[in-house]
Amino acid sequence: MKRFTFDDTEPFLAKLRELLATGTPVERIEVATPFPVHEALLLLKTPVSRLKFFTFTGALTGFCAGFALTIYSATSWPMSHGGKPIVSLPPFMIIAFELTILLGAVASLLGFLYLARVPAPKHILTSIEADGKFAIFVEEL
Amino acid sequence: MKTEPVNNAAYYEQVEADVFAAMQKPRATYWLALAISLTCFGIGLACWGWQIFSGMHVSGKNNPVGWYMYITDFVFWVGIAHSGTLISAVLFLFRAKFRKAFNRSAEAMTVIAVMTAGLFPLIHLGRVWFFYWLMPYPNQRLLWVNFRSPLVWDVFAVSTYFTVSAVFFYIGLLPDLAIARRRITGIRQWFYRILSIGWRGTAKQWSHYEKLYGFLAAFATPLVISVHSVVSWDFAMSVIPGWHTTIFAPYFVAGAIFSGCAMVITLVVPMRKILGIEQYITVDHFESIAKLLLFTSMIVGYAYILEYAMAFYGGNVFETAHFMFRMLGDFRKPYWLMCFCNVLLPLTLFIRKLRRNLVYLFVLSLFVNVGMWLERFVIIVTSLAHDFDPYAWGNPNWSWVAIGITVGSFGMFFTFFLIFVKVLPVLSVTELKEERAHETLHI
Repeated sequence: MKRFTFDDTEPFLAKLRELLATGTPVERIEVATPFPVHEALLLLKTPVSRLKFFTFTGALTGFCAGFALTIYSATSWPMSHGGKPIVSLPPFMIIAFELTILLGAVASLLGFLYLARVPAPKHILTSIEADGKFAIFVEEL
Repeated sequence: MKTEPVNNAAYYEQVEADVFAAMQKPRATYWLALAISLTCFGIGLACWGWQIFSGMHVSGKNNPVGWYMYITDFVFWVGIAHSGTLISAVLFLFRAKFRKAFNRSAEAMTVIAVMTAGLFPLIHLGRVWFFYWLMPYPNQRLLWVNFRSPLVWDVFAVSTYFTVSAVFFYIGLLPDLAIARRRITGIRQWFYRILSIGWRGTAKQWSHYEKLYGFLAAFATPLVISVHSVVSWDFAMSVIPGWHTTIFAPYFVAGAIFSGCAMVITLVVPMRKILGIEQYITVDHFESIAKLLLFTSMIVGYAYILEYAMAFYGGNVFETAHFMFRMLGDFRKPYWLMCFCNVLLPLTLFIRKLRRNLVYLFVLSLFVNVGMWLERFVIIVTSLAHDFDPYAWGNPNWSWVAIGITVGSFGMFFTFFLIFVKVLPVLSVTELKEERAHETLHI
């Protein structure tokens, strides 16, 4: 494993471009930066995050769960107040709305943890190589 | 003021050094502030203990005023929380640059304020140990909560709000926790090692991270509006004069952001001074917050006027009588003080010199905090004290216990905030670095 570290984005990007120009395949390069460097993401052809599928699934589950919970509980224990319908969709919508956001956000968080491969026990227990630097790691054959 | 470093690497190093210097051993003023906050917190806990021991009559609530200081405190603290989400999520979506100065402290404020607020419905309960009855759960008696009740909507809205704000706060912190892991040594390092969950900042991690941050901001924005709308519906869904109006939701949301901006100023003016981070939170940043304060103050003032317009042109005799009572009755002093603090005083912010004077802003923010607490007090107490039937009118009792618990809530809020400033980085180092890199990148 070859390692190059830099203190700023410009020399880091210059080296990255040079490596790519000299024919190092993208799959063998890994970079780590203290903040997102979009140019590096483009150069390495990082695929678009699949997080949206987790978010959508969570949000949809929350929406359905909100209506399922309210309609099920209202019909299993009917409470009649002032002639209002037992299944009153407008107030149930509020519960569905809140649960859409709650489960959407929680699913996004879990999806992120899964996709970004954190928590990573190895990196918690041992120090991280070139931590805080703009680093390029090239896997050697 | 230190000179600005010319090269980026030196700037990155300096931001880290400055922000982490603020987390070093506290000075005497810090300990003093913590001692005062903890004392207030302790007073609050003692009062709550006394209330649980002796019964709800000590809280000053009676018939007809069954909602009193605790509900006032609840609405006040939920409102404080709102501007944190506004600054961190809404201004993020609008790409407002000044948010970077405040977002971390505002997010911490949100999480702490929702925690404080969440206690009040429980304090308000007669038998707090049965609080879980608020939750829908399968039970032997086949009972369910009434989902048509705004109080149940509140349970869902506030718990969702707390969860999402806490996740948003933590995700924003994650790259900074990774810096803390590197900079802080000794036994404390383990705390940051574990919290930073092995974050490395690889290209893939960042691409997922940015997506997540955007999604959370997009979730938090409608959430923040829904939460205070639901809180306002606790009142507006009833038929009590003064509460039963359709403007309540936008009126409460604007009021929440107004009070929250004031609390951000109250917290950040002393914080930047004590921690020595004046060069990152500048007068320009405060001016932007002051403009937001002025704008929301005018919405609140407009709502106050509109309430009267609707009462007098609506033709409802109870509504008219109620608003006369609010203006001239037993609670006229808090009412006029509220108008002064929330409507008149903030108008001075039209003057640029005052907007940029931090001492003035700090004092003004204290007045707004008081004014917004009084606003909730006036709305809750006057409506209940003076509803339809003169035979049922009555004022609440004076209560040291309720005041003690209110003081205690401020104690709790400041205690947690003071712990936050010494344990976590108060500025988003990662975002400051990123901003600098964008400003100087020549591609």
